[in-house]
Amino acid sequence: MRETRLWSLHILVLPIIAVLLGAHFAVMHYAPVFYGMSVEKAREFSTMIERGKSITQLVLYILLLAAGLYHGMYGVRGIIRELPLTPTLAKLVDVGIIAFGLFIFALGTYVTWWTYSYKIGG
Amino acid sequence: MNSNKPTAYNNRLGIKGWVYAGNYTFERYLYIGHRLSGLGLIAYMVLHIVETANRMRGEEAWQGLMALFASPPFKIIEYLLFAMAVFHAMNGVRLIITELGFFLGKPKEPVYPYSSSIKRHRPLTFVIMGLAFLIIILGGSSLFFP
Amino acid sequence: MTDKTITPREITFRVRRYDPDVDTVPHFDEYRMHVHDGMTVLEALHQIKAEKEPTLAWRSSCRMGVCGSCGMFINHLPMLACQTQVLHLDSDVVTIAPLPNYENVKDLVPNLEPLIEKHAAIKPFIIHTNSKEIDEPTGEFLQSVKERESISQFTHCIKCGLCLAACPTVATDPLFLGPQALAQAYRYTADNRDCGLHGRLEAIDIFHGPYQCHLAGACSQACPKGVDPAFAIQLLKRTLVLDSIGFGKKKSSLAKVMPLADVVKAIEEFAPPPRTVK
Repeated sequence: MRETRLWSLHILVLPIIAVLLGAHFAVMHYAPVFYGMSVEKAREFSTMIERGKSITQLVLYILLLAAGLYHGMYGVRGIIRELPLTPTLAKLVDVGIIAFGLFIFALGTYVTWWTYSYKIGG
Repeated sequence: MNSNKPTAYNNRLGIKGWVYAGNYTFERYLYIGHRLSGLGLIAYMVLHIVETANRMRGEEAWQGLMALFASPPFKIIEYLLFAMAVFHAMNGVRLIITELGFFLGKPKEPVYPYSSSIKRHRPLTFVIMGLAFLIIILGGSSLFFP
Repeated sequence: MTDKTITPREITFRVRRYDPDVDTVPHFDEYRMHVHDGMTVLEALHQIKAEKEPTLAWRSSCRMGVCGSCGMFINHLPMLACQTQVLHLDSDVVTIAPLPNYENVKDLVPNLEPLIEKHAAIKPFIIHTNSKEIDEPTGEFLQSVKERESISQFTHCIKCGLCLAACPTVATDPLFLGPQALAQAYRYTADNRDCGLHGRLEAIDIFHGPYQCHLAGACSQACPKGVDPAFAIQLLKRTLVLDSIGFGKKKSSLAKVMPLADVVKAIEEFAPPPRTVK
């Protein structure tokens, strides 16, 4: 059941991506429509920090990171491993993709946490 | 082993088999588009995470970056990304439906001229691609003229 | 077909040549000849061999789309040479090359060994669990018309290998099971007399299994028998996903057995279809 589970998961994360990426688009690109705020204002440092102070935002962004990275990294692994590789190289690709995905996830999570715990004026 | 044994020629198409659809069906082109847009999106996602980490270098660094992204070349790149995301998402919807065996009809005796599951779900393909095209055009207009 | 496509005329055949004893890379030779209405690519090759190039090599047998030997890359699409009419290609230049994604043994001959190996790997036979009924049969296994119809299409595979030549994944991945084997995996798994899904998992629920099919649809386009391998692969994915979450079809025992006495009775009662030829 190994590959079926991995593949099913890459489908199951899609609703999460659809909703959260939609929300991310709404905040960043459609701020004038949804928040009556200009796109420039939505991207300002202070606005960004203010948004990042919400615990909901912290949790949802980490969830989006995890879901997006899993779906993307599963896809990249699929493409690379379709190349003619030796078994050792195939194993290395798997390990490399996991390590890279985790690294980017850790970086994203750290930045989100940094924003959450940012002291304004401090 | 006879070292003079004639060798067969490796006739595998390689990456060309991925990217060249030639006389094959429309869906084969969608396959290429899905793959390329997927690669583009994950590359962007990684860059995006690294780029937004710049906020930790302070307000000035962040504002500088935002000013750079507001410049016309980046607007065009942003639009391309949007188009890729819409295409990938819409084609993805088609793939989820069909890869789980829906909308493909029922198995039936192959009587010439053959009908295939690919042809049977083509109306769905066209509707979804039409929608994707519309969203790309409409969404793009708001990106360029906010 | 339009009239233009059946007008007999001179056609140029660009045939890919490769002799492993002499060549390191293949090259194309051109032969020009008159083509009449109804002439197949296979007939054209025979004529070229008889009149112009006696060393030309290809593989063919039944010349009627049943044996699956004469798969070739004709005008950049995999087709059976015996059931492709030259004039229907609607082109004054017909390019004939060996099937891609296989080793090229000589001229137009591909090495179909990987196809057969992958086919064998998915256990292409009905797997029973009721060994008592196998050893001491009390009757015949029943299969309803509906059950038969659900797999019948996929039983028409002639193992010509055109689908693997068309598949973009096979283009790079030599380990990918390919449309032929995966379609057959579904054909047997979905058979109501088969209980072998779990016995096949080791062979099919792998990276190089059904999930490397991205529904490009080229295999179904290429299949000369209308088997629609892409369809079977998607149904196989559904079967595997449902099974992995515990919603798979429960096939713990064999199909119903019809006692031999009833089989004999049914045969006696069976009326042959009316004659269609006087």
